[in-house]
Amino acid sequence: MTSVRRRLVPYGLLAPGLIWLIVFFVIPMYYMGELSLKTGTIETGYQMSWAFSNYTDAISQYSTQFFRAFYYAGVATVLCLLIGYPLAYAIAFKAGRWKNLMLFAVVAPFFTTYLIRTIAWKTILDDSSPAVSVLKTLHLVPQDGRVLATSAAVIAGLTYNFLPFMVLPLFAALERLDRRLLEAGKDLYASATQTFLKVTLPITMPGIVAGVLLTFIPAAGDYVNATFLGGTNQAMIGNVIQSKYLVVRDYSEAAALSFTLMAIILVALIIYIKFAGTGALMGDEEEAE
Amino acid sequence: MPVKKMKRARLLIVAVLALAASMVLVACGGGGGGLSGSDNSDVTTATGGDPTGSLNISNWPLYIDGQTIKNFQNETGIKTTYTEDVNDNNEFFGKVQPLLSQGDSGGRSIIIVTDWMAQKMYDLGYIQNLDKAKIPTVEKNLIPSLQHPSFDPDRKYSVPWQSGMTGLVVRKDLAPDVKSINDLFDPKYKGKVTMLTEMRDTVPLVMAADGIDPPDATKQDWLDTIDKIKKASDSGQIRRFTGNDYIQDMAKGDVVAAIGWSGDAVQAESDNPNLQYVQPEQGCSLWSDNMLIPVGAPNPAAAYKFMDYVYEPKNQAKITAYVNYVSPVKGVKEILQKQDPDIANNQLIFPSEAYTKNCFNQVSPPGDEADQQEVEQAFQDVVTG
Amino acid sequence: MKAWRWLRENAVMIAGILALLYMLTPIFVIALFSFNDPTGRYNFEWVGFTTQYWAHPFAITELTDALLVSIRLAFFTAIGATILGTLIAIALVRYQFFGRRAANLLIVIPMATPEVVIGASLLSFFLTLDVFKLGFQTLLIAHIMFSVSFVVIVVRSRLIGFDRRLEEAAQDLGANALTTFRKVTLPLIAPGVVSAALLSFALSIDDFVISNFNSGSTVTFPLYIFGANQRGIPVQVNVIATMLFAVTVIAMLVVIIQQRRAEKASAMRPEEIANKPAMSLPV
Repeated sequence: MTSVRRRLVPYGLLAPGLIWLIVFFVIPMYYMGELSLKTGTIETGYQMSWAFSNYTDAISQYSTQFFRAFYYAGVATVLCLLIGYPLAYAIAFKAGRWKNLMLFAVVAPFFTTYLIRTIAWKTILDDSSPAVSVLKTLHLVPQDGRVLATSAAVIAGLTYNFLPFMVLPLFAALERLDRRLLEAGKDLYASATQTFLKVTLPITMPGIVAGVLLTFIPAAGDYVNATFLGGTNQAMIGNVIQSKYLVVRDYSEAAALSFTLMAIILVALIIYIKFAGTGALMGDEEEAE
Repeated sequence: MPVKKMKRARLLIVAVLALAASMVLVACGGGGGGLSGSDNSDVTTATGGDPTGSLNISNWPLYIDGQTIKNFQNETGIKTTYTEDVNDNNEFFGKVQPLLSQGDSGGRSIIIVTDWMAQKMYDLGYIQNLDKAKIPTVEKNLIPSLQHPSFDPDRKYSVPWQSGMTGLVVRKDLAPDVKSINDLFDPKYKGKVTMLTEMRDTVPLVMAADGIDPPDATKQDWLDTIDKIKKASDSGQIRRFTGNDYIQDMAKGDVVAAIGWSGDAVQAESDNPNLQYVQPEQGCSLWSDNMLIPVGAPNPAAAYKFMDYVYEPKNQAKITAYVNYVSPVKGVKEILQKQDPDIANNQLIFPSEAYTKNCFNQVSPPGDEADQQEVEQAFQDVVTG
Repeated sequence: MKAWRWLRENAVMIAGILALLYMLTPIFVIALFSFNDPTGRYNFEWVGFTTQYWAHPFAITELTDALLVSIRLAFFTAIGATILGTLIAIALVRYQFFGRRAANLLIVIPMATPEVVIGASLLSFFLTLDVFKLGFQTLLIAHIMFSVSFVVIVVRSRLIGFDRRLEEAAQDLGANALTTFRKVTLPLIAPGVVSAALLSFALSIDDFVISNFNSGSTVTFPLYIFGANQRGIPVQVNVIATMLFAVTVIAMLVVIIQQRRAEKASAMRPEEIANKPAMSLPV
């Protein structure tokens, strides 16, 4: 009896959340999936025609934007990791009583809503701003160059907007790191760098994996940064999907593009998780034990 | 992951999807759905009678002064809920279309959208005809130039809310010689010009500058013009395609000339006198945002009352003084002449016939939905290139 | 030499503070422009200093209403998503059961879905189902839906590697499952749960795309701003954004100061125990 009850416990814990996701995510998505194989317009209605051509068209026609999206999101994710790791480390180990305040400061920018933040970035990075002059003096930007309306601005915007998604899981992973392990590491390995590479980094790998996923996935589907900070020929696949849905109203192709994007992300996800060697998201039995 | 476990996982996904599928079937009785087509039944006329209950209006943000709604409620006793939930014609359509296709207006009695969207909604059967007898003030005070637009020649279903011009917005200090849309293609301004993401604003202006009359343009004319814009976009001549945010680029001087809207320029000029609207040599595009009564609108009598109310010049003057777009109502200029001569004498708010002589009414590409979609897609492929 | 050593010792903190400054730079700009005095309706260029908008931050009724809707929505989203997500996280980390991978997948896919797809598909669903009235209800449903996955990820990264013997010890001491959860598990995972709640609050108050589809005629803070952007964003938006930021920072500071007082009152440092559970037990 108790063993049956014990076996039912996880399902009980899962039920409310998963039912929520099934009803309000899976079912609507199933609906979209069906739409992606239909043809028609809103005037004539949509008929199921098993139009797999929606998919082949989508991929062949917009491969540039797919590639660009993954490239921008990839660079932004690496930058987020480089900026976010020291920040999470400082909050977890060095901040002392300021820990909560610093942690909060990471999330705080959300409260101003992204449109205002993005407009603020346009003010900071405009062609004649001090920030851009400094970059020109350092020869990071050519004298007659600009930052806004370039790929650099889009990547910078993605990095900025998704940094909290990197910092929070990193912090959570670092925070529960046993300090005595670090001390032991210091005794064992001579340098702090060695300790970091051999102890801290491997132990916080689940946090890194989670952070990378949380940053990369939404960044790859984003369209806001490219819209406001990018120029011509910097649109990401998110922009294409957005315009197919809302401007052209080609719902079938929009749905096909969305599913293609999701499929690529999922495949990348599975490969990445195998490669990273941790069970961070899908097969974490090894990890949990 | 071990293969066996993978298989089990896949099996589960299939199971979940199957469950989902069956639930969908139960939920919607095997089909129908939000994104389906409309029934092309006859267009109804919104009935009059006495206003009962409350009035819900959906309009664009910051498109009315602070007093008008309060005054309307006090004078008529009609409880009015005024919501600023129209941000963009396309997005608003995407949001209400599934409702409207089921004959439901979501409680709205008046919605306000731009000409071409009004036409699109009407053609889809989402908009009711107006009973002209119920709106005598509108009949009396609508300015002649707006009485017979091509999309609704007899104003059967639309009443203008405010109008505006699409033309050039220029930094006078940085690009003093920009006078025609063709100047935007001048290599001198490479990377310093922007155009609007809204196809119906951008393409006809570029076309007119090439000597094609937009109302007579063929589909091929549209596609050729889009191709011209694409070349300028690929070469880096055009910096970006924008919504209203071109004003920010221009305030900073990052952009020196742009395709933009007259009302924006009135506002921007008061901050920076160098930022000005320039009437393109080959003419501007004229448009209106229109009040419409959607299908299934509750309380149409109250909607008629509201339309009539804002067409009283003294009421309209308050709106115009705040909004700074072109007012569609006769007699407003005379009132504002006394209150605020600066506004009354502004060519962008009360344009003379001479000022708009080359202008044309905003147009959509010719042809049916599929043709329009093809052109729209070609333009969007440039914008999201 | 001394300076070099100091720099080396504090390198991480310096990098961290620089990263924070980077994150807060736009906030400074937003705060600065809340004191701007534009003559027209655009608040992009510095014109002159004024405090007039701070004197009347709630002058625009629509904006204030939108803000209140957003705060209410974010509050309920945080509660709902945190509860649902924490339960899932516990199940996933603690239990072996049939269907675990499928459950994992179901958590990940929503995050891999473009927002516009979620928004559009939910809208058709709501309309087909015709049970919920578009508005606050549907916004809440959508926000909880997209926040749950984030909660799960944040909470589970705290749960993984968590020392289970603490719970076993409590149960050996006679505590039942619920008491163990309340007195042992919850305090230990609390930092993760709190950051998850904070994150879902922030995600909700920041969301535009999904809300835009499912809002009916309800207007949230981001929806208002997006629309206002068509005609020029009023300075009050900057004032309110700055206020939101300032209020929460001050609240945090008050908590910290009170913590310090409590520390002075007792030699024991309660947060030491709460935050570093592993140190109080031998491994």
